[in-house]
Amino acid sequence: MNLKKYLTLTRAGIIESLQFRASMFVLVLGNLLYLTVVYFLWKAIYASAGTDVVNGMTFSDTLIYLVLATALFNFMEMYTVWDMGRNIQSGKIVLDLLKPMRYRSYLFWSFSGAFVVNFFAVFLPTFLAVYIVTGGAIPIGISLFYFVIAVVMAVIINYSIDFIVGTICLYTESIWGINIMKQVIVLLLSGATIPLAFFPEPFKTVAGYLPFQSIYNTPLTILLGSAGTEAVFEALGIQLFWCVALLAFSSLFWKLSLRRITVNGG
Amino acid sequence: MKDIIEIKHVSKEFKVLNRREGLKGSLKDLFSRDYKVVRAVDDISMSIGQGEIVGYLGPNGAGKSTTIKMMTGVLEPTEGEILVNGNVPYKNRTRNAQEIGVVFGQRSQLWWALPLVESFRILKDIYQISDADYEEMLSLYRSLVDFEELLHKPVRQMSLGQRTLSDILAAFLHNPKIVFLDEPTIGLDVSMKAKIRTLIQALNREKKTTVILTTHDMGDVDALCQRIIIIDKGKMLYDNDIEHLKGFFGAYRTLQLRFDGDIAGHAQQLKEELAPYQVAVTAEEEWISVLVNEEKVKVMEVLEAIQRNRVIRDMKLNEISTEEVIKKIYEEGVE
Repeated sequence: MNLKKYLTLTRAGIIESLQFRASMFVLVLGNLLYLTVVYFLWKAIYASAGTDVVNGMTFSDTLIYLVLATALFNFMEMYTVWDMGRNIQSGKIVLDLLKPMRYRSYLFWSFSGAFVVNFFAVFLPTFLAVYIVTGGAIPIGISLFYFVIAVVMAVIINYSIDFIVGTICLYTESIWGINIMKQVIVLLLSGATIPLAFFPEPFKTVAGYLPFQSIYNTPLTILLGSAGTEAVFEALGIQLFWCVALLAFSSLFWKLSLRRITVNGG
Repeated sequence: MKDIIEIKHVSKEFKVLNRREGLKGSLKDLFSRDYKVVRAVDDISMSIGQGEIVGYLGPNGAGKSTTIKMMTGVLEPTEGEILVNGNVPYKNRTRNAQEIGVVFGQRSQLWWALPLVESFRILKDIYQISDADYEEMLSLYRSLVDFEELLHKPVRQMSLGQRTLSDILAAFLHNPKIVFLDEPTIGLDVSMKAKIRTLIQALNREKKTTVILTTHDMGDVDALCQRIIIIDKGKMLYDNDIEHLKGFFGAYRTLQLRFDGDIAGHAQQLKEELAPYQVAVTAEEEWISVLVNEEKVKVMEVLEAIQRNRVIRDMKLNEISTEEVIKKIYEEGVE
């Protein structure tokens, strides 16, 4: 494998993201607004609960979790579905298919530049801010290492899910509804909007069997150090399983779908 | 001459949902299984040699793009066999991609926000072009166009003409054996069209690249193609050189006339008056064209009939143009 072929796309993505300074500022600003809402919402929830600990999480636990979930979301959400759908509708996908590279890889590496930028522009500052403000609520140690592994796998799982949903666009030729549906399902079941600990029992079990919780819940629980070593390995194992399964499935689904594709326009 | 593209009895069918109208119809469509089969390409065969420039013509919806998509490997033919450079394109799309370049006039493969030079660097890495080949290509480009001016300009700030020019340069960058140009001069002004034609010609000459060109602009065809292939409604109508085609219509002459007053009005009257002579009357901005088949009626007779009722201010007599030949073929086919 010639890595240069792929890294050049990462490089292009970085330069491209940096061209749009205004959108970066808006992203950061929008985040602050969202987090403010989250802060007051959960403050109210804890106030009405009347206890300091709800479902095993304190107010600051919950807040740290959600702030980091948002940061993780901004770094991982690549709007793959949106892009694929738009390219399918406009027919630009033909040009991408004619690159001497598998479309899956081409798309992933094209997004990877924005990944890097968002990591440094959004995730890292948020992480440091949370670390400083909470005065060390995030344990620095081996869990940080597991966290990095978990994030890498989360990125692959997230991308695979996006790619599967994007592939569905080949059939439906519409994007909007599917994309919104996907986003709601992923954000809810992954624990990005509400920590999974707050889910009622049968629901929590169901969510546990789905791949979505591997995207946000697993890395964040590992990072916050609330799980024991054994639980961490178990969670990583589940992630690995989903990684392999979804990679294989999305690959196969795309291959089969491409055979049936009728490219629009032109 | 070695054949680089080999197409044998290729057809492509699409399944299209029969859509109904109105709200009720749209609701029914949600559950409809009522498909109809559209034959976009119907039993086409051709072979194209290394280094040829072939004009691939046909009215809108004739099946040109579908054929090109099959040659590039994006679509799989329903029947028949395609070999491009020895590969079956849809089976080895990625490998095939290394050997071909494409330009679709209406969309760009370049990185929108970046200066052209960045797009080139990316393509260099993606296609794994060696430094020496890359430099050689760039110096060729420098000798052909005002390259420096383009190189550092972000693609989104380019005019349509500059962008098309850049897209063509990008398509040739990895020195592919075949380049597909789908309406490259669409929407461009006359001088830009000329520049682009010169460029395509030069690249074809220097690199012996086979060029498949679809266009609606007969100027492109006259300037570039020795050979043309015409299809309509998925069927092949013609495959030979242009001169041969004009021979078919050798007896046709175009009589161009100018009158005082309302041109459209005159054209309407002439259409009625000249009905018995079996000629085609078309009105342009200042001129009225009358296409005459001399095997059926002499130009002089037509001219006499015209001036019987009005004064001719100016006139020209031309051979049939490629444009008119093509138009006649679209309308009537080749006997």
